[in-house]
Amino acid sequence: MEEKYSSNVMSSGRLGPVDAPESRLTRYIVLLCFTKFLKALGIFESYDLLKVVHIVQFIFILKLGSTCFMVLFQKPFSSGKSITKRQWVSIVKHAFVSCIISLLWFFGLTLCGPLRTLLLFEHSDIVVISLLTVLFTGSGGGPSKTRGAAFFIIAVICLLLFDNDDLMAKIAEHPEGHHDSALTHFLYRAFFLLGVADHKGGVLLLVLALCFNVGFHTASRKLSLDIGGAKRLQALSHLVSVIILSPWVIILSATTESKIESWSALIMPFMTVIFSVMIMDFYVESVCSVKMEPSKCARYGSFLIFASALLLGNFWTHPITDQLRAMNKPAHQLHTEHVLSGGVVVSAIFFILSAQILASSSRKGQRGTLVGYSPEGTPLYNFMGDALHNTSPSMPRFLKDSLKQILEEYDSRQIFYFLCLNLAFTFVEIFYGVWTNSLGLLSDGFHMLFDCSALVMGLIAALMTRWKATRIFSYGYGRVEILSGFINGLFLVVIAFFVFIEAVARIYDPPDINTDMLTPVSVGGLIVNLVGICAFSHAHSHGAARGGCPSHDHGHSHHGHGHSHGHNHGHSHSDHGHNHGHTHNHGHSHGSAGVGMNANMRGVFSHVLADTLGSVGVIVSTILIRQFGWLIADPLCSLFIAVLIFGSVLPLLKDACQVILLRIPQETEKGINIALEKISNLDGLISYRDPHFWRHSASLVAGTIHVQVMSDVVEQRIIQQVTSLLKDAGVNNLTVQVEKEAYFQHMSGLSTGFQDVLIMTKQMDTIKYYKDGTYIM
Amino acid sequence: MGTIYLFRKTQRSLLGKLTQEFRLVTADRRSWKILLFGAINVVCTGFLLTWCSSTNSMALTAYTYLTIFDLFSLITCLISYWVMMKKPSPTYSFGFERFEVLSVFASTVLAQLGALFILKESAERFVEQPEIHTGRLLVGTFVALCFNLFSMLSIRNKPFAYVSEAASTSWLQEHVADLSRSLCGIIPGLSSIFLPRMNPFVLIDIAGALALCITYMLIEINNYFAVDTASAIAIAVMTFGTMYPMSVYSGKVLLQTTPPHVIGQLDKLLREVSTLDGVLEVRNEHFWTLGFGTMAGSVHVRIRRDANEQMVLAHVTNRLNTLVSSLTVQIFKDEWARPVLASGAMPPNMLNIPDHHVIQMPSLKSTMDELNPMTSTPSKPSSPPPEFAFNTPGKNMNPVILSNNQTRPSGVGFNYGTTPYTTTFNHGLGVPGIGNTQGLRTGLTNVANRYGTYTPGQFTQFKQ
Repeated sequence: MEEKYSSNVMSSGRLGPVDAPESRLTRYIVLLCFTKFLKALGIFESYDLLKVVHIVQFIFILKLGSTCFMVLFQKPFSSGKSITKRQWVSIVKHAFVSCIISLLWFFGLTLCGPLRTLLLFEHSDIVVISLLTVLFTGSGGGPSKTRGAAFFIIAVICLLLFDNDDLMAKIAEHPEGHHDSALTHFLYRAFFLLGVADHKGGVLLLVLALCFNVGFHTASRKLSLDIGGAKRLQALSHLVSVIILSPWVIILSATTESKIESWSALIMPFMTVIFSVMIMDFYVESVCSVKMEPSKCARYGSFLIFASALLLGNFWTHPITDQLRAMNKPAHQLHTEHVLSGGVVVSAIFFILSAQILASSSRKGQRGTLVGYSPEGTPLYNFMGDALHNTSPSMPRFLKDSLKQILEEYDSRQIFYFLCLNLAFTFVEIFYGVWTNSLGLLSDGFHMLFDCSALVMGLIAALMTRWKATRIFSYGYGRVEILSGFINGLFLVVIAFFVFIEAVARIYDPPDINTDMLTPVSVGGLIVNLVGICAFSHAHSHGAARGGCPSHDHGHSHHGHGHSHGHNHGHSHSDHGHNHGHTHNHGHSHGSAGVGMNANMRGVFSHVLADTLGSVGVIVSTILIRQFGWLIADPLCSLFIAVLIFGSVLPLLKDACQVILLRIPQETEKGINIALEKISNLDGLISYRDPHFWRHSASLVAGTIHVQVMSDVVEQRIIQQVTSLLKDAGVNNLTVQVEKEAYFQHMSGLSTGFQDVLIMTKQMDTIKYYKDGTYIM
Repeated sequence: MGTIYLFRKTQRSLLGKLTQEFRLVTADRRSWKILLFGAINVVCTGFLLTWCSSTNSMALTAYTYLTIFDLFSLITCLISYWVMMKKPSPTYSFGFERFEVLSVFASTVLAQLGALFILKESAERFVEQPEIHTGRLLVGTFVALCFNLFSMLSIRNKPFAYVSEAASTSWLQEHVADLSRSLCGIIPGLSSIFLPRMNPFVLIDIAGALALCITYMLIEINNYFAVDTASAIAIAVMTFGTMYPMSVYSGKVLLQTTPPHVIGQLDKLLREVSTLDGVLEVRNEHFWTLGFGTMAGSVHVRIRRDANEQMVLAHVTNRLNTLVSSLTVQIFKDEWARPVLASGAMPPNMLNIPDHHVIQMPSLKSTMDELNPMTSTPSKPSSPPPEFAFNTPGKNMNPVILSNNQTRPSGVGFNYGTTPYTTTFNHGLGVPGIGNTQGLRTGLTNVANRYGTYTPGQFTQFKQ
């Protein structure tokens, strides 16, 4: 159904043939081909015209010419139903917007030349709509659409970055002041403020105009139906826009002196432009979109127009084309303006590819929403719908919710505040760097941004830790914290590695360092990081205070420094825990032996510490270089810092690894072993097997154990005893499987495999063995 | 098994331990090949790094990081050999399979961090693009490509092969699959190579080499030095795309999650279990993957008071063993210390306990500390005689009820140690045991009925 109706959406409302045979389509394709070539020619022509004619005058003349033509042919006043007052208002709006779009378009044309204008602006609506769908809704219909969108973006980037159009010439050519009107002057000022070259500004302008144009087309579709056909609307709109533009043109021509020698010489080129760009293109496009599928139409059209643009771009200044050109140029002194460059060719190829991909109709990609019915009774679909209207309205709410969650808990709040501070510092640095054009500041800013990613990860992990357990995460999300700590540790190792490599490279070849800029920046960074250290060490003490031992608060900020340091604290700490009695878990939580206890915060903390060390190193090396001129001080400092970071991160990595690898928790290992011994001495218990104990997250130590008991013992009592014993040892999520001889008999009865039976009988034998009492453990 | 190494401590140094493990690995003939490749890799990487600094090319650096990643994958392969030889130790009671997973995770994460570093450097380079010397660029590319492909294809890297098969496809793979599908429409013979999914490592190696070739061409032709930065970003993004699904997969294994593809199967099994005779409910089910492929899990099954525990245990184990190799099933009964007929002092709040996760352990401690049952219960003279248990209810009703005022809190408090219950318990102490038995018996049968008609559909939503 959709396929069937998709053909009539772009047209005026008649249901077109659905699947015409290729032979019937050929003449339309040829027609399209011819028209697109003419259009490209017309754009090139109008670029030349725009050099002599003011842009507003140019648009006025274009509109005037096409109005005359269309009013003559379409007879909008005599045919069709009469137009109401409200519709006239809409037509005026339509005309106004179309004027603005054509202003933008032709202004872009003057900025970046005909070739680039054609590449950027001549995209059919469905291409742009599917591009926007991919970009903003995320589900554009498979990887091919994504690829098309990526190609489109690459093409635009190619035009922006790799197209070294005659930039220098243009910049020299446009000293401020010689612009014709207030409008162009304003736009030039805007580009100047944005800091982009004219040519790049033109590219951006055209992309903007393209998006406007598509939105405008979609919005005017309903109006054209109300009025009775796109052609009638077009004719009326041209008429109105001529009326709108006329006062401006009159004022312009009255105030400024014209650069044109004779208007009569320009009649011919204007005629060409009007005919090829405005009229021919419009009619052929509407015919083709009725006769062919719009996707096919778009594909042929874009390919043809880009190819012909490339051809013309290559040969326009060539003498061969002189007879093609309607307007004779006096000289070829502007020979090198907007010529073909590698970047343009590449971007043209990418544009063609992306147009092919994006215009190809996917079965599920375009989902139209029913707008209503046309007077003839055919249903009308709006294909814009989802792409622009409901783009995830819950986004602000999601942000608000997560912010609230972040601020709820102490840890995540600390990280969040510090992240904000860090980001603020980074952006100040980057903006200042851009402003003063200082590379050192910029690179330091990027470095800070790089570091911020670790903070962001820590924040997300701290947030996720509090999520409720689900089917997949059956123990809860507590482990995310440990994994994040591990990744942060790896991150630091990578940083230490790169610092090390760089330092080694600098020892062999010490570069000259400009020390002027470094000091204030590094002092600023140091201050920020010191704030972070204060905050996070406070966070540590906060966590510890809950454990009930305030004595080791301040010592904790040194935790990351080294092994010996942490060891001392851990020792005193365990004594403390002993005095307090059974606060086993809490007591050990922050000692050096505290395996994975809030590894996330530890990771973030050591990250901040590493940054601080870096700042200190820079300051120290700067002082050394300034005072004594030791250039070697800088790499030596870096080496030292690298080793220090690496040394401080090792304990974190080791602890996190042990948790991840499901080792028996180190701090409860002894207790568990004692408990196991007690279990084996329980009444009626024969033996136990497969004792697994591991720390799942900071607050959860899980365990499983299989116990074999005499057949005359009550299982539940054994479970209860075993559980209480292990509970005292610190295991708080335990599963006990109690097996009697009957179990093995049942199992051997149930299992059919020979091997299983063999194992079972073996185990049964051991049980019997125990029962005899001859076996001594 | 089960031997207690209480004060055993390995006092050997870390280096000594490492050399011992290394010797263990090198005893195997296959690891020699890996070691050889590793040595070549180190040499290669050294050369590549010097070429990187001499060409000053970011893209080549990004590509060199792929070679370094290759080194990590070789190490992972060695570790997987080592894992196969090691037996579970008391400290690592699940065995060493997880080392393999962790190693895969660490190497993919390191590759991504390297890519992040490349992105950062490239952002700096966009501000000021230095000159690139193309001298060794192409040589470096081909050396790295050949070596990567050769080692990737000649060594059977079990863990990475598994992960790349099991993880979801990267976007690079998806695009290549999409492209090659249309290509295979033209030339059907190619489908064996390209479809359904290519090896991601081969793919990224080839794509990176392609990007470098383009870079070389453009720099040679037109001195577009910015292309180098752009292709470095492209390689970094591709590295991200390739490594991300794998690190997510291995990370999920490390997080002890239930793999999504077995959930359906698991649900079916658990539904079967919950319809077994005597089973009232299944709760606290934790199933997770130990290493690549092996599942471990634990589950608590609540059964009717008159059901045979060993029978149920055997049946449950038999059902679940097909999927979960390391399984622990805890069978429990409510009010187990009371005979069936006289039972029923079931608190009203236990029917609608809100969350089954908080029920079990955490509140145990307080009751345990007060009562300290582990020393008292076994020697208690009033503990129920074993033969009374389940099949012969009512025989010695009276003495048991009277004695149960002491044993009950430990038994039930262990299961439902919530505060509302303790109040009912105190209340129950004041009331003589026999007085309220008859009135409450119906309550229990209701409970049993309620859980007996527990349908599978309810069960699945039970845990969400």
